[in-house]
Amino acid sequence: MTRVRSIAGTRARARTYAQRYVAPRAVELDRRIGDDPTYFDWELVTTGLRYRLLSEIIPTQVGGCGGTAVNGAVMLEELAAACPGVANLFGAHALGILPLLLTGPAHWVGVLREIVEAERRGEPLLMGLAITEPDAGTDVEDPDLLRTARIGTRARKVPGGYRLTGTKRFISNGNVARWLTVIMPTDPHRPAETWTAFLVDTRSDGFSVGRIEHKMGQRASPAAELRFDDVFVTDAALIGREGDGLAGTIGTLAASRAPVGAIATGIARGAYERLLAWLETDPQAGELLAHQHVQLTLARMAEDIELARHGYLSAAQRFDKTVGRPLSHPLVRALGMVPPVVWRSERMRRQINAPWVREETMRVLRRATTDREVTESLALSSLAKAHGADVAMAVTGAALDIAGLAAGPVRAELEKLWRDAKLTQIYEGTNQLNRLEVYRGLCRGETLAALPPVGTAAARLGGPT
Amino acid sequence: MTLGTVHDDLVMVARDFTAHVLVPRSQALDAMRPGVAAAVWRQVAELGLDRALLAEARGGVGLDVGDFLCVLEEVAVGDAGVALEVLLNNTALVSLPAELVADLPEGTRWTVGFAPGPGESPVAGVDLIRDGGSVFLTGRLAAVFGAVGADGTIVTTRQPKPAVIAVSAAAPGLTISAYPLQLGLRAAAAADLIFARVAGAEVPAEGAAVVESRARALVRCGVAAIANGIARRAHEIARDYAHTRIQGGVRLVRHGAIKDMLAGMVVRLHAAAACRLGAAADDPVAALAHKVAASDAAAATTIDAVQLLGGMGYMVDTGVEKLMRDAKYCQLYPERNWLAGAELIDPEGSSSPHRPW
Repeated sequence: MTRVRSIAGTRARARTYAQRYVAPRAVELDRRIGDDPTYFDWELVTTGLRYRLLSEIIPTQVGGCGGTAVNGAVMLEELAAACPGVANLFGAHALGILPLLLTGPAHWVGVLREIVEAERRGEPLLMGLAITEPDAGTDVEDPDLLRTARIGTRARKVPGGYRLTGTKRFISNGNVARWLTVIMPTDPHRPAETWTAFLVDTRSDGFSVGRIEHKMGQRASPAAELRFDDVFVTDAALIGREGDGLAGTIGTLAASRAPVGAIATGIARGAYERLLAWLETDPQAGELLAHQHVQLTLARMAEDIELARHGYLSAAQRFDKTVGRPLSHPLVRALGMVPPVVWRSERMRRQINAPWVREETMRVLRRATTDREVTESLALSSLAKAHGADVAMAVTGAALDIAGLAAGPVRAELEKLWRDAKLTQIYEGTNQLNRLEVYRGLCRGETLAALPPVGTAAARLGGPT
Repeated sequence: MTLGTVHDDLVMVARDFTAHVLVPRSQALDAMRPGVAAAVWRQVAELGLDRALLAEARGGVGLDVGDFLCVLEEVAVGDAGVALEVLLNNTALVSLPAELVADLPEGTRWTVGFAPGPGESPVAGVDLIRDGGSVFLTGRLAAVFGAVGADGTIVTTRQPKPAVIAVSAAAPGLTISAYPLQLGLRAAAAADLIFARVAGAEVPAEGAAVVESRARALVRCGVAAIANGIARRAHEIARDYAHTRIQGGVRLVRHGAIKDMLAGMVVRLHAAAACRLGAAADDPVAALAHKVAASDAAAATTIDAVQLLGGMGYMVDTGVEKLMRDAKYCQLYPERNWLAGAELIDPEGSSSPHRPW
């Protein structure tokens, strides 16, 4: 397998997979899952393994492609142009990985290496991120709202680890992921102060999958209810440190919203390209091109798509230059020089998971960037997401309007993209919430406490030192 | 209770039907579950809604068009697809030659297929062949709502001159090609009708222009009424959710962004309610203007309603995403809104007796 980190290389790999394998089955897959939401197309995921999309953003130090936020976003645009549900499947996988990337190498040599090795063996190993709850959706995406959120989950400290209880909802890949990044408070009455991320093995006792949602669109990526019934995780399952979850969430959202803008851009592009191809190849449909309304609409689509792409690329580049900067820190780069066999040693893995390594990671992060930079990165990412999502809705709606009900097979494809587009205005925080982040971060120049503080967990959480 | 003659009674009957028959079956109708649409249609017929517009002397209820459109809006609050079937059946019955209507058994359901006008649909259309006093149809009509399971279709054309032809679903040479991926209005299951020299019964040429024009105007006004019903239902769901869901420690409705969305819905509902749809039912241009405005308003309201419910709204359980899909089709049927311009600015249209300015 080759290591490809160029943007063009990522785009080419993703496009080949998307156009060769995903696009031809997108409508039928959507119909099938519409009839049976529990159906999941493992074959489609397995087919994609050779394109290394599951390890796109995993560091080269543990065998991944080492792609940046820009690589990840470009990949999602290509997938979304073929099928937004499949893009979301890979996007949700990346979302589960992001907190592991941002909190230091503790889990790189474990789970991330496992994903890479499974990919090489031809076995898909998916991740997901579980944060949304039945009574807290938008609340958990915003630092202010989180303080008053009605959180129903809890991670209780016990000797050697934590016990997780409660229910998460609408979790993309929740029922197909092997590993989940799960965020819960250790004190539900103080969720913002005790928001903590854990790595959970979905084979753990007490973990179960509830309802698989019947969604309007983006069906290739399942959304599941997840139940945690006293699930035990060890202290090593902590992602970052106890109580760092809110800062981790801000960093994760700064990384994950631009990719949603990329998915939205891909949806708009998919609709535009399909409409144009239909108009250009169907001799009778081509008569519509004589209408100035159609010409202006196509021009507007091209304009909106170009600007949406600029928005997500710009946000992803900003992320790479700020929050992503520690990933190229010399200490982090040096990990790549350690022979893989070393990481198979349990003693070494304990070492890299030690509290001092986590503390040092926070120091590296704090030296590499600032609260202000992360806040700006989040605002730009939110801007790209909200704008891209509106473009996706506008372009898919306009494409349907032009094609009409007599358009033949392209009609089903456009209708699917229109249904798919709506979700981009909702997930990763509603567009309204995203624009409030833009207001705070850009218009008002506010600065969030976006970086975890340095110091012991007990001290930070107000407990005994 | 069957339809009476007093407007308020009619609305109450329709509202009761919506609450007790349609709303509980809305998901099943949307899923096109076998038998559900047929069972609902039997209840539609028992109430007399299927022939509400037909004169009493011809076996109908004899409703005024304005009252009929109010009833239609109420039905659309429950299920827009069923409302469309009611609209199309009534349009078909008032368009059919009297002698044909007299022979139709009770509970029969017909629909209407509009052949595309100039520039409307370059990929579908029908040709009429007159041969020894008979008329035959050849070609294809795309996405005829309600065609699946219908007993017949009224085909109307405007080109080269107006014509109205009744075609039985059992007519030799007719293929009804269902479209299982239909996005919205799914209770009125659509099909492409493929005509291979299919014989039909023609409305006399001298009356065809009037019948065609009236059918077109009626369906446009009816779709406007249906769009209003869809928007009302979306607003109800969004408003109720906003008053119960807690976010940030307060009810959702306390957030400014939510207030804005709900206020926009209310503005559009008031504007729609102010339209006198019944007065436009004999004027295709005025009807078209109402249909464009109402369907655009319904699309905006339903998209905002899904947004307001967030992730919940995107799931089929709440029924609000279905309203978004239904509203989208109102923008495309009986013609695409963006193509309305040519007809709206036509000099003949500008002399409409229903100009409000």
